[in-house]
Amino acid sequence: MGNKKTKPKASSNGNRPRNGSRPTKAPVGTAAPGRSVERSSTGSAKQQLRTYSIPDYRLEHPDFTVHQAIEKDKDGTEHVRYEVEGNLDAPVPPIRDSKYLDKRQSIEIYRYMLLNRKMEVALENLYKQGKVVGGVYFGLGQEACSCASAYALGKDDWFAPMIRNQGSLLVRGFRASDTMMQYMAKADSPTKGRDGTSHFGDIEKRNMVSPISMLGDLIPVLSGVALGARLQGRNLAVMTYIGDGGQSTGVTYEGINFAAVQNLGLVLFVESNLWAYSTPSEMQCRCQDLAERAIGYGIPGVIVDGTDACQVYDAAHEAVERAHRGEGPTLIEAKMMRMKGHAIHDAAAYVPKPMFDFWKKRDPIARFENYLAKEKKWLTPKENEALIAEVDKVIEAEREIAVNSPMPTPESAEGGVFCENGCHEIKPKYGIPRVKKGSGGYKETEAAVHLK
Amino acid sequence: MQLTYLEAIRQGIWEEMDRDPTVFCLGEDIGIYGGAFKVTDGFIDRFGPERVIDTPIAESAIVGAAFGASLTGMRPVAEFQFMDFIGCAFNQISNMVAKTHYLWGAPAPLVLRGPSGGYVHGGPFHSQNPEMWFVHNPGLKVICPATPYDAKGLIKAAIRDNNPCIFFEHKYLYRRIKEEVPAEDYVVPIGKARIAREGRDLSVITYAAMVHTALQAAEILKNEGVDLEILDLRTVSPLDREAIAQTVKKTNKVILLHEHSRTGGLAGEIAAIINEEAFDDLDGPIIRIAGLDSAIPFSPPQEHHYLPKVEDVVREACRLKAY
Repeated sequence: MGNKKTKPKASSNGNRPRNGSRPTKAPVGTAAPGRSVERSSTGSAKQQLRTYSIPDYRLEHPDFTVHQAIEKDKDGTEHVRYEVEGNLDAPVPPIRDSKYLDKRQSIEIYRYMLLNRKMEVALENLYKQGKVVGGVYFGLGQEACSCASAYALGKDDWFAPMIRNQGSLLVRGFRASDTMMQYMAKADSPTKGRDGTSHFGDIEKRNMVSPISMLGDLIPVLSGVALGARLQGRNLAVMTYIGDGGQSTGVTYEGINFAAVQNLGLVLFVESNLWAYSTPSEMQCRCQDLAERAIGYGIPGVIVDGTDACQVYDAAHEAVERAHRGEGPTLIEAKMMRMKGHAIHDAAAYVPKPMFDFWKKRDPIARFENYLAKEKKWLTPKENEALIAEVDKVIEAEREIAVNSPMPTPESAEGGVFCENGCHEIKPKYGIPRVKKGSGGYKETEAAVHLK
Repeated sequence: MQLTYLEAIRQGIWEEMDRDPTVFCLGEDIGIYGGAFKVTDGFIDRFGPERVIDTPIAESAIVGAAFGASLTGMRPVAEFQFMDFIGCAFNQISNMVAKTHYLWGAPAPLVLRGPSGGYVHGGPFHSQNPEMWFVHNPGLKVICPATPYDAKGLIKAAIRDNNPCIFFEHKYLYRRIKEEVPAEDYVVPIGKARIAREGRDLSVITYAAMVHTALQAAEILKNEGVDLEILDLRTVSPLDREAIAQTVKKTNKVILLHEHSRTGGLAGEIAAIINEEAFDDLDGPIIRIAGLDSAIPFSPPQEHHYLPKVEDVVREACRLKAY
């Protein structure tokens, strides 16, 4: 999806103009798929420059940056705080028309986004009622990214969410009560109380790998799923997510690189939500946009506005199609902001307030609702009200199911460490791998070895 | 047919790949080069580059990819060039793979295999015995064969097992020992110890290369009038508690012998099992012979000093016999 451009890229990731220059113009990516490199070993200095670029589908390029600053309180005591600098008054951009989504699909995504948010509101209330064990993690402000990305997957494709992608689970057919019961550690939760949050999976029907708390480990795992499927004759798309914080881990590099050299259909959403717990993305990496890392991996990278469901869907759809064609992985950077703290206990007091104000105006649901109702006229106010009422009803019913599930018995902590006594039959999910065998038979090896 | 330990492992994997199209190998330099120790030599010509995959030097990716493939019903066999490097993939193994069946009910039928162990002057990063890192991880099976027969039967059992198995191949044994191995298909059950030598006076409980150290000590001790029984654990997780209890009940005196460092080592765990299962049968202290509590040093005199030796077993056996 990258393309060749001779002009240096002027965009930032929404918060960090670097190298001394501030972007003045917003380049809009309309590139055709495929990365190309301009290079020459001879000729002028200009010809020796390789230039790469990353398609950027956003309709605005937020222009501010966060840094640490010393602030004095009224007693004159110094405190280190985060400070935001830049243009925080820019007008809200429109939703970019999707190249692929029709009316029905757009409304369906909107409904999932509503379900996502309302499920999290319900979870917040359950927490306040003391019914949740541990904390609650929210994807507030990231619903477009979770829902529209997963919506682009085909039935047989696989995915693995991160903690804030609770919307993806709904799109892939899990129920809100599944997630609610996980949070309440109930006996009927998908893990029967053994783990919480979105930490569950399903390798039979919904093709979801359970996440673990350590960041980046899902990337090689999903790549391995694609490898296994390919050995069975299928090119599948395997989607997972990583944050601007999580991408700092070494296994992230290993996983993307593995998918790249093996040409596996990984669709990696890098959710640049500006805060990794309390650390701003400026302190995670030096590069301007995380999508630029795709260049180093030798794979296509693309930037989208993570609050715009249409942009998220289009980029995901193209990456999924690429994966189905066996053309390899794609890195999609989705820019947005985490609109709550790391978890429910965290008031996110470290986030400069103007940033919340800026991104609140870019609320993915409010904007998509406006787009569907006013721009496209695909939803009448009455239809919208009915849809919201239906979602409320679903969430209330799901909440009831979750609350009424019993707690697990203490003894249910035991067992299941191993797959034994025929509890699972292992068989290739997509068919017996077709095996070609060379003519050579077994021969004893006599070659020299490293240590004797 | 007479096979070396290394050849027995090669043949075991080869036969499984021949038999089952879901078995495939991945690892560093395992393809055209055939692996650092040549365990997969010639495999790529027979089974093709799709099933014999040379990977980047990225242990977490190797384990992650093996796990992911196993979720689709494949049976990956991932090689670590040296088991020392398994630490690079620790999180994938401990937090992703080992917990998966318990937490969300997904089986992970994969094998992680590679050479471990000292006595070859490999130095601190090519001689370790990191099996205990994984014994303390419920959900993994940890296998450490001592003989060609067991190596072949256990690698086949590991590949056919529905759980993640870590298969430690002792590199000192690779080409040093040879024995008759049946041509027909067989497996050795995981989790079952075997008596490597019957004896009356005292028991040595051990595994892998140390079985041979104990066997040599037994020959010397025979002349001293000490009849050693040797229990080869074969699998260090899950441990064969019954076999451990049985040998203690028979001889009433026990030496626990392993190559890795003493503190937090397997001997501590076995001593606890003996305490639980056969305390009343003990006629003497439980004796530990193990590596020093340091990294394993490089220089041959230092490595020799660090590692358990035949004379250590002889000395401790004589001391224990006197009780």
